[in-house]
Amino acid sequence: MSDVMMDLDAVDKFYGSIDKGVHAVRNVSMQVMRGEIIALLGSSGCGKTSTLRMVAGFEAVSRGKISIGGREIHMLPPVQRNVAMAFEGYSLYPTVTVRDNISFALKRKNISATDVANKVEEIAAMLEITNMLDKYPSSISGGQQQRASLARALIRDADLYLLDEPMGQLEPQLRTLLRGRIKSYIKERGLTAILVTHDQTEANALADRIAVMEDGELQQFASPDEIKKSPANLFTGTFVGEPPMNVFPAAASISETTVSLQLAGDVALTYPSDAFSPQLRARLTEMRDVILGVRPYAVQRRDTGSPATVVANQWLGDQSHIAANFAGGSLVLVEHDRTQLTEDQQITVHLEPSDIHIFNPQTGMAISHGARLVG
Amino acid sequence: MSLELTNLSKSFKHDTVLDGVSLQVPEGKTLVLFGPSGAGKTVLLRLIAGVIEPDNGQIKISGIDVDGAEPEDRNIGMAFQNFALFPHMDAHANIAAPLTAQRKDQSAIQSGVQALAKLLKIDHVLGHKPKELSNGQKQRTALARALAGKPKILLLDDPLRNVDAKLRFEMRLELPRLLSDQNATVIYVTQDYKEAMAFGDEIAVINDGIVQQIGTPEDIYLTPANVEIARLFGDPVINFLDVTLQKDATGVFVLISDKRIDLDANYSHAIGNECTLGIRPESVLFVNQDHENAVPVTVEAETPLNEKTVNLCLTARGREIMASRPAGTDGPENGPAFVNIEAANAVIFDKQTGVRIESEQSTGEGNVT
Repeated sequence: MSDVMMDLDAVDKFYGSIDKGVHAVRNVSMQVMRGEIIALLGSSGCGKTSTLRMVAGFEAVSRGKISIGGREIHMLPPVQRNVAMAFEGYSLYPTVTVRDNISFALKRKNISATDVANKVEEIAAMLEITNMLDKYPSSISGGQQQRASLARALIRDADLYLLDEPMGQLEPQLRTLLRGRIKSYIKERGLTAILVTHDQTEANALADRIAVMEDGELQQFASPDEIKKSPANLFTGTFVGEPPMNVFPAAASISETTVSLQLAGDVALTYPSDAFSPQLRARLTEMRDVILGVRPYAVQRRDTGSPATVVANQWLGDQSHIAANFAGGSLVLVEHDRTQLTEDQQITVHLEPSDIHIFNPQTGMAISHGARLVG
Repeated sequence: MSLELTNLSKSFKHDTVLDGVSLQVPEGKTLVLFGPSGAGKTVLLRLIAGVIEPDNGQIKISGIDVDGAEPEDRNIGMAFQNFALFPHMDAHANIAAPLTAQRKDQSAIQSGVQALAKLLKIDHVLGHKPKELSNGQKQRTALARALAGKPKILLLDDPLRNVDAKLRFEMRLELPRLLSDQNATVIYVTQDYKEAMAFGDEIAVINDGIVQQIGTPEDIYLTPANVEIARLFGDPVINFLDVTLQKDATGVFVLISDKRIDLDANYSHAIGNECTLGIRPESVLFVNQDHENAVPVTVEAETPLNEKTVNLCLTARGREIMASRPAGTDGPENGPAFVNIEAANAVIFDKQTGVRIESEQSTGEGNVT
């Protein structure tokens, strides 16, 4: 058996006629490996839900192919695809209890009643719905229904688990707890899952790889760590990461001994040239105008560096967020202890070459990460 | 102008929504009302605004009882959740309305509207009618209108609720400064604890119509009055462990997985009591086995959380405990590990009532032996 569990091959989705209707998913290709958890991440209207619905069989594929476990399935009805789904609006059966909703899929499979009961109890405990098992769906809250629906999907035996905003209605405290539990449940059993979410925290927490989508296109498909360290373009760089990446227009000037990035407001970041790879120096000599990006937690306050003026300093319990006027724009810093800066206080900040991302201002594509040329 | 609420109560039929609420907001300060939906926050704002009357209690603005005063005579600016924009006017005219009413000249109106629209990122939709605006844009238009007249008292009911995450973050940094520049006395309602900590000079945690705790963000985060408040502030959520306070010659301690954790604070009045120990994930640190406070755990899962990494662990008794650390720092593999529970940051609650037990040191100074 191949290690590829799901294969999207040049998939398009048009609402309306092909090439004329709304082009919701644009030529998306991706492979999900057996045992992987994937998050489709993007803002509303980016095409992530359309993609998932095509995999589930709720939407027709306009162009391209979808295979699951080596089997082409995009022409098959949903029930023949062997996928388990927890969808918003893919509702519970109202006439039976939560327990019967969850165990329904197992009863057809010749599993002993004791085993079924044990499995239901186990998954209900994991999702904190044990007390609701004998209630009817209409008498429990939206968040509880959502967990019951998730339990019903996860208890099944399927090739692929499709989870659409599975924790969207839960209070934040419960969400953080369940994330860890659901991840270990899926991993222990070696299941393959695709999660749709607009919440990057959820995507980061659960997924082995994140597919970032925008305007129907796959922007980047990589591990959370790689997306953080090597965003493919300005969109991914500024979309993933909270607080968002700081970006500034910059003009590069390269001499024998230094690399200098000139920002607005007379701020020049000057580094010894060997801090940047020769290939990147050559590229910067060519390009000159670039976009510089640096993540808030990579900005360092030091005794020497470029001047910035504190605008706000907020303590959020476990970290401090500092906003400062810098290079004609706004710079955000995150520090993990409690900083006591006051408004209008002068600070000096330092950006390490290894923390700098450089983007092409025309195409938005990444040129370098950490002073090394992409690719 | 200061705002003083004394013993306010309000019931609808037999449903008590507010039960003896007293709050004070000094001039130019922001008080955040924080609590779950249905806690009574919005009703409290409506009482202050004069839209509804209290059953009992008193509202004073700058020391003067406003009982019976009409809403428009209270010099209060409001941005409520249901937007309430004038539907026939575009966003610009909506924002300008308070300035027009104050008979400001055209150039002052123009610059006032533009400045707010730019700050709130709605300058590109000023010509749009409310029905052409998204919910987030409507909400910001309502907020801009509330700010435009520079009212001395501002009531803001979750004004960033429908705003997307990135803009919400920017507003969280920028709006507090604008409010303090205007020297407005603000009551700000939110369900987002980060917003509450960022905006509030003080935070009032309200639940079931009762104010459960009033304090600075520091008070609320470090010494929450009860387990529920502790749970509502912080991400990931605070860990709770069942413990029994014990004492011997060296001092007060608890046992976690048979490991002795010394509490430097003096809880000798509660020795033998069954308690809940609250410890925030950032105060659970991975250490070597030979660390004096090393508690054995099993690491179950690792979840990156933007600028943090969170590990879900199980204690020897199977209790879940979360540990968080700055992203990019070294962490454990899944499997056996050891954590140091930083006792200095632990909060102790009574197990039955959930109320925080104060240490004796914090009740008096200079009498520590």
